[in-house]
Amino acid sequence: MTSMTRSFTRVPPILLLFVLIPLLVEGFWVFWPAVQGFWLALTNWDGVSPPRFVGLDNYARMIDDPVFHTAVTNTAIWLVLFGGLSAVGGLGMAVLLQKERRGVGIYRAALFVPVVFSLVATSLIWQVLYQPGGIFDSSPLADPDTALHAVLVPALWRQVGYVMVLYLAGLKGIDPGLYEAATLDGATAWQKFRHITWPQLGSVNSVVLSVIVIDSLRSFDVVWSMTRGGPYHSSELLSTYMYSTAFQSLKLGYASALAVVIFVLAFGVIVTYLVRAFREN
Amino acid sequence: MDRRHFLRVTAAAGAGLLVSGTASCATSASSGPVTQAAGTATIQSNLSAPAAKAAIDALVKAFNDKKGAQASVNTVASETFRTQLPSYLTSANPPDLFTWYPGALLKGYEEKGLLLDISDVWQTMGDYPQSFKTLSGKVFVPTTYYWWGFFYRKSNFAKWGVTPPKTWTEFVELCKTLQGKGVIPLGMGAGSDSPWTASSWFDYFNIRVNGAGFHRELLAGKQKFDDPKVKAIFTPWREVLPYTDPNGTAIGFQEATTAMLQGRTGMLLTGAFFADAAPKDAIDDIDFFRFPIIDPNVPLAEEGPTDGFFASAKSPHVKELKEFLTYAATAEGQEAYIKASSGTVLPTHPNAKDSGTPLVTKGRQHLKEAAEITQFFNRDSSDALQPTADAALVKFLQQPDQLDTILTTWQKAAEQVWSS
Repeated sequence: MTSMTRSFTRVPPILLLFVLIPLLVEGFWVFWPAVQGFWLALTNWDGVSPPRFVGLDNYARMIDDPVFHTAVTNTAIWLVLFGGLSAVGGLGMAVLLQKERRGVGIYRAALFVPVVFSLVATSLIWQVLYQPGGIFDSSPLADPDTALHAVLVPALWRQVGYVMVLYLAGLKGIDPGLYEAATLDGATAWQKFRHITWPQLGSVNSVVLSVIVIDSLRSFDVVWSMTRGGPYHSSELLSTYMYSTAFQSLKLGYASALAVVIFVLAFGVIVTYLVRAFREN
Repeated sequence: MDRRHFLRVTAAAGAGLLVSGTASCATSASSGPVTQAAGTATIQSNLSAPAAKAAIDALVKAFNDKKGAQASVNTVASETFRTQLPSYLTSANPPDLFTWYPGALLKGYEEKGLLLDISDVWQTMGDYPQSFKTLSGKVFVPTTYYWWGFFYRKSNFAKWGVTPPKTWTEFVELCKTLQGKGVIPLGMGAGSDSPWTASSWFDYFNIRVNGAGFHRELLAGKQKFDDPKVKAIFTPWREVLPYTDPNGTAIGFQEATTAMLQGRTGMLLTGAFFADAAPKDAIDDIDFFRFPIIDPNVPLAEEGPTDGFFASAKSPHVKELKEFLTYAATAEGQEAYIKASSGTVLPTHPNAKDSGTPLVTKGRQHLKEAAEITQFFNRDSSDALQPTADAALVKFLQQPDQLDTILTTWQKAAEQVWSS
């Protein structure tokens, strides 16, 4: 016991430095700019002149900005489809591939491979698949009615593999004794899933939820490299709109306000869920 | 070096980095350190394509070989360059020179006092035509420019038995003939990552119907996009829409180029730079013709985007950078550049030799005949206005019957850009 207290109190100063310096670096290069973002959202700034304080004008402007409305709707669609389908698909694949059979590793690896690719490379592959005269007569990326969904497919293709791995790890942690007992009691496969697998996956679920909410709100590269939010803003997400507002239109104040909206959405969804999850426990 | 020593050194370096970071301005997110050796002017370059990079390297080498002041190039991906330019210019220790083009963005920076007045370099550029001088103001040195036109393959036109048109009527006739032969007459690459190429059509219709003066005023916010005069230019455009590649908003610029080179489309309205990526054996087969005259009473204008250099007002190497700019403006400097490039650009110095191919000679003549030169949509307006044009024009290509709504929306979006 004495030796343990000693080791706690006498942290070598060099180790302390190794904790404090990264914290300071992180604070300065990550937290401080993030805080500045909130301030910039209240200004008009072109990146060159000093920012001009405009109060809540940037937020007021969102109310009549048709592109913002499209971006919000699309982000909501994206959150539901991308989040929902990747969770369902990932869980389904994990349950299907959970048992150790011969060759199951190949299937797991095959589903995981898209996660390894960079999203920009992935979108290049899909762009070729979508070429007019390929699978489709005309490219679904060019049609404003289908562009968003056409971009969603490659994003899902990647995310399902990722979520599957999270669930596979979760499934491995379930005590096989529970299933044996259930089999003895004559439970059906569905009953086993409903009453053993699902409740046991509770903690993994909150991880998966956080991951998919964050990933869908920061989905950017796949959309930007395939459509740039077009044709005429039909596949615009909040993230792509924020980027083009900041770096094409050089309206950094308005773009910061958009970033704040994205932050509030991500934070809001996750905190609500976590609070509920903790209460249930 | 033992472990303890290594750790101490690393920790000290980390702390040092932090302190220097805190000391510099928080908004100056410079990407990558810029070496500021004494007496060397650094050039921040966005010419990252292999041929263009070779060209600027050749120019700098020729300059350095003169054993006067020295210069060095720092090449950055063009998208990074564009998004970081404000940070470069406002940082405490900016690069000395930048590759760029004249236009609204440069004017804005000039008004904010971020750019160096290089009027004395212009003193050495007496041979330059007034048009370049007007374009550049006191802060820019133009070195190269290029032209736009309808490019086609001579062998294909011969095979189809057609000749380049002069007037609008002939142009429409040509489209009709080609369509009759089962060829898509007009290529378009306004999909994927190049919706901006649709703006070349807009620019040309506007300078052919309303003239370059109106076009500039419109792009500067002194006219409106929902003006009847603007609406009028879409009438001839509609006339040729049935001859335009129906996949024109689905494929990008590269694919559209390939389609034309492979003979799937008859011709493509594009800048001469497209030849950089064309196979060598195709280059000799390429020719172009002028965007047809629609109203003979409108003075002839052509797009001739100009590129060159400007300098930061904060540069400590004023003498060196001016020496470099003076050299870049000479015929010798421009010939060194063009020799190492893919050869489709024209020198701005009137006596400098171009690459001498028939295509380039014709291109130079093509611009000489024009009474007015426009730059391109984003250069004559701003990069901020370009996305509004992309949205409007791609929508027009897909839903031409929505023209009225498109133009009102465009005007609103443009006002948003101008107001901020």
